[in-house]
Amino acid sequence: MAILSLQSVSKEYSSDGQRVRALDGVTLEVGEGEFVALVGRSGCGKSTLLHLAGAMDFPTSGMVRIEGRATSDLNDAQQTRLRREKVGFVFQSFQLLHTLTVQENVELPLLLAGTAGARELALERLRWVELDGLGVRYPHQLSGGQMQRVAIARALAHSPRILLADEPTGNLDTTTGSVILELLLRLTREQKTATIMATHSLEAASLCDTLVKLRDGRAEEVTRR
Amino acid sequence: MMRPLLREPVRLGLMVLAVGLGVAVVLAIELAGTAAAGSFHSSMENLAGDNDLEVIASGGVPEAVVATLATQPYLLRISPRMEDFAVDTQTHETLPLIGLDLIAEGSRYALRDRAGYAVSANNGTMEESVRELGDPESVWVSASLNKNTGERIPLQINDRVLDCMVRGVLPEVSGNENIILMDIAGAQRALNRFGRVDRILIKLPANSNLEEWQKKLSAVLPPGVEVRPQGTGTEENRKMLAAFRWNLRLLSYIALVVGAFLIYNTISVSVVRRRSEIGIVRALGADRGDVLAAFLGEAACLGLAGALVGLPLGRIMAGGAVKLMAATVESLYVSSRPGPISLTAGSVALALLVGVGVAVVSALSPAREAMQVSPVDAMAQGRREYIARAHKGRDLAIAAVLAGLAALAARLPAFAGKPLFGYLATILLIAAAAYAIPALVNSISRIAAGMLGKLFGVEAMLASRSLAASLRRTSVLVGALATAVAMMVSVGIMVGSFRQTVVSWMANELPADFYLRPAGDAAAGRHPTISAELVEKIAALQGVAAVQRLRAYEISYDGMPVTLASVDLRVARPEQKSDFFSGRPTIEVLDQLRGKQNIIVSEPFTYKHNVNTGDTITLPLGDARANFQIVDVYYDYASERGYILMDRDVLLKYLPDETPTNLAVFVAPGTRPAEVRKEIQEAAAGHRILVFSNHDLRTEAVRIFDRTFAITYALEAVAVIVAVMGIAGALMALVIDRRRELGLLRFLGASSGQIQKMILVEAGLLGLLANLAGFVLGYFLSLILVFVINKQSFGWTIRFHWPVAVLLGALSVVYAATVVSGLYPARVAVRLNPLEAIHEE
Repeated sequence: MAILSLQSVSKEYSSDGQRVRALDGVTLEVGEGEFVALVGRSGCGKSTLLHLAGAMDFPTSGMVRIEGRATSDLNDAQQTRLRREKVGFVFQSFQLLHTLTVQENVELPLLLAGTAGARELALERLRWVELDGLGVRYPHQLSGGQMQRVAIARALAHSPRILLADEPTGNLDTTTGSVILELLLRLTREQKTATIMATHSLEAASLCDTLVKLRDGRAEEVTRR
Repeated sequence: MMRPLLREPVRLGLMVLAVGLGVAVVLAIELAGTAAAGSFHSSMENLAGDNDLEVIASGGVPEAVVATLATQPYLLRISPRMEDFAVDTQTHETLPLIGLDLIAEGSRYALRDRAGYAVSANNGTMEESVRELGDPESVWVSASLNKNTGERIPLQINDRVLDCMVRGVLPEVSGNENIILMDIAGAQRALNRFGRVDRILIKLPANSNLEEWQKKLSAVLPPGVEVRPQGTGTEENRKMLAAFRWNLRLLSYIALVVGAFLIYNTISVSVVRRRSEIGIVRALGADRGDVLAAFLGEAACLGLAGALVGLPLGRIMAGGAVKLMAATVESLYVSSRPGPISLTAGSVALALLVGVGVAVVSALSPAREAMQVSPVDAMAQGRREYIARAHKGRDLAIAAVLAGLAALAARLPAFAGKPLFGYLATILLIAAAAYAIPALVNSISRIAAGMLGKLFGVEAMLASRSLAASLRRTSVLVGALATAVAMMVSVGIMVGSFRQTVVSWMANELPADFYLRPAGDAAAGRHPTISAELVEKIAALQGVAAVQRLRAYEISYDGMPVTLASVDLRVARPEQKSDFFSGRPTIEVLDQLRGKQNIIVSEPFTYKHNVNTGDTITLPLGDARANFQIVDVYYDYASERGYILMDRDVLLKYLPDETPTNLAVFVAPGTRPAEVRKEIQEAAAGHRILVFSNHDLRTEAVRIFDRTFAITYALEAVAVIVAVMGIAGALMALVIDRRRELGLLRFLGASSGQIQKMILVEAGLLGLLANLAGFVLGYFLSLILVFVINKQSFGWTIRFHWPVAVLLGALSVVYAATVVSGLYPARVAVRLNPLEAIHEE
């Protein structure tokens, strides 16, 4: 069974009194350990799709299901719980809290969810991303690649079923970007997460199991390898 | 310039209201001070006309002086007057009672009825007219009293009620002030003061030299009689009220200081937020001056808007303040009536100057910082987090130096009668605290982060980290609230200590079972007398062991009004345990007064007149001048103007008026006080006398004390409100600046409740830090208030006392208010759209 399922999903926004269709009838299923790349120009709907997939937003029409559960049926508290348990996010600009140490950043989702043993889990995730030993540092003491590793460790802290990455290599040089992509792919396989990554990078797209080309909110082409 | 602020209307509104409140308080105290004390107009100057000189003497000017002056070979107009007070027993209003020689001067005041027609004293014979004039029950009243000719008005004069007949209504010569006019002979009878007048006014020939005439006339008058320019008494009172006004005025500036902190914070936030904009406009050709002008302009707009809000608000607040101030002036200083509150062009200018001035000065530092931003850096970095750039070590060193200077300033004496160095010490201490607060906030929030995380969860940990990260902004906020809290704590300790000192003092000073005085409101400078026959009757009562008579006069000594009192030492009681500088027992000190040219003086007297034990002072008494030696100084908290106390028998030699102004009654052992009280009241039938039990008198004294300081509490409350509003505004800014972080937390699984809790914990932490810093600063400020400013302003020794319950209550309220101020920002934080927030950058 697919972990994430989008059925004819559309999303409209109101901008200056005008309706703007950000997604238009997208259908997609992502399974365990599957790595999906979303490609397309800026404004084609990649980020919107990630938000819907992460239960951060509701579709205007169609259905988003996470492990069979429709996100539209959830209230705010249930959505929050769903994110705490099932979804992890990675952002282009890392989005680490500069007031917290590396270790505390990774612990944060666990602490917010009230999970016991947060410290041990965080240290384990840091080992996964090969940053063990750097837990006591602050984000500004790390390189860009290291910061993105921390962000990945944080996204995996609570063992989510879905990992959503929005341009994770966008702020990195090519070499570091490649390392991060390989890490994401490895962890997707090892942790059996359903990973969706929005990207402009052709290299990133070439590594994934499924390639979704978005154009003006529509899934123009879905290629499975 | 204002556009970014206009985009945040709630925060802008809070800031303007905070500045407006600060301006309003300053304006209110200025307006009320001018009405109640500044434009002090003695009630006794009514119907004083355009005279040049006045003749006075302690206890009254002998009538012979009038004759002496009248027989001088000069063209002088001489107007003897009786001046006292009467109480309208129907309205309970205390009215100035003035006795003039109506035969000589009546035509000048053109007595008329209310319709404006001239009214003669009567329609009968000359003999009847003269008799009617001299009748103590014939009065003329001001039009403002709304009485008609022929009506009756019951007036209590001293302890007697006279059913007076209104013989005429005065035209509007006295403004709107209510007064009672009598013929001088009638007034002397009504007041039971014969052979003396209270004042003689003299009109000199045109273009006379006042000093020459003063010398010329003094030469022909007895030594105790003083000739001085008319209105000198009013000037003396004004001088006396100056310190009172000064201290209130300074207290009113606290809210403004708090407002200044907040403007500093607002402009600092603006500079950081608009760093990239600064870079862009600099790149487009704006020079440093333009950037400086833009930020100062923003502050000036805030100040102007605050001043405009503060103007009407201040006018409304002045109405309440004037009542409180007038009551204090009346009970502590001098009988007077507050003038009207007038919002003049000067007061409008003051509000604008204070609002805009404080805003611009407080914005100077962040605006200069903005000016120095390099365009390349600014554009490259874009918007950035507010980074702490506190130099903790350096700041702590500066704080230590400032605190040291404050300690030095606190040891310096008063300058020109004002505790200027005391004020300087408080400013230096506040500045020291401002420098020390960043280090305090940093250390405490870091230490507390782990502990708070364990106690209150991850939200508390995030909140404390966030506060520590935005150290400079947090420090300014904590500084603003801490200043307000410190003033609250220090004034609370000062007032609490003073109150406790007064309560302990009364326990020793008031040993009698009952205290009696003529009915009517008690006021400084007003000493109505008790009939001598009543005193005899009370003394003869079976349950009365002793009656001690006290007589008080208002005299002028060394250019300042002083209370001269005599006490009946023949009935000195062993229960009396006054506290003297020398520490000697009361009996021993009083023994030195008995029958001798010795006096004791109150503590404020020694400070006001720079005298001490062993000094000899010359007092004008009646028509004589006599030397007295100060044998000791006693602690006294009844009057700020100062007391001189001597043996009743000695004073009677100079002023042979036997009527006392107060009685202390000691109940015979084994007698029930309630029965004695009943006996006293029966004996006093026909007299209007107030009988206070010892307990009642103390309660009344504490009530007056609390009323006196009500205005101080009101001022502190406004300062705290301003600070709390500032905290709310600043939390709004924090929420807006951290929307990315708040959005991220939602992505990471934070619930709305957790976000809300985080903001509330931040508010709570701010409140806690401010309370802590404010408490420590407040304690040191209270030492300056109690031992320096109070002592140098008023001359009172106050014993330090912790008003624990009051402080705990006040600090809890401030803390709760700070947490409540976080509610709205917390709601805003929850409503932020995390998708927009996270993708904004």
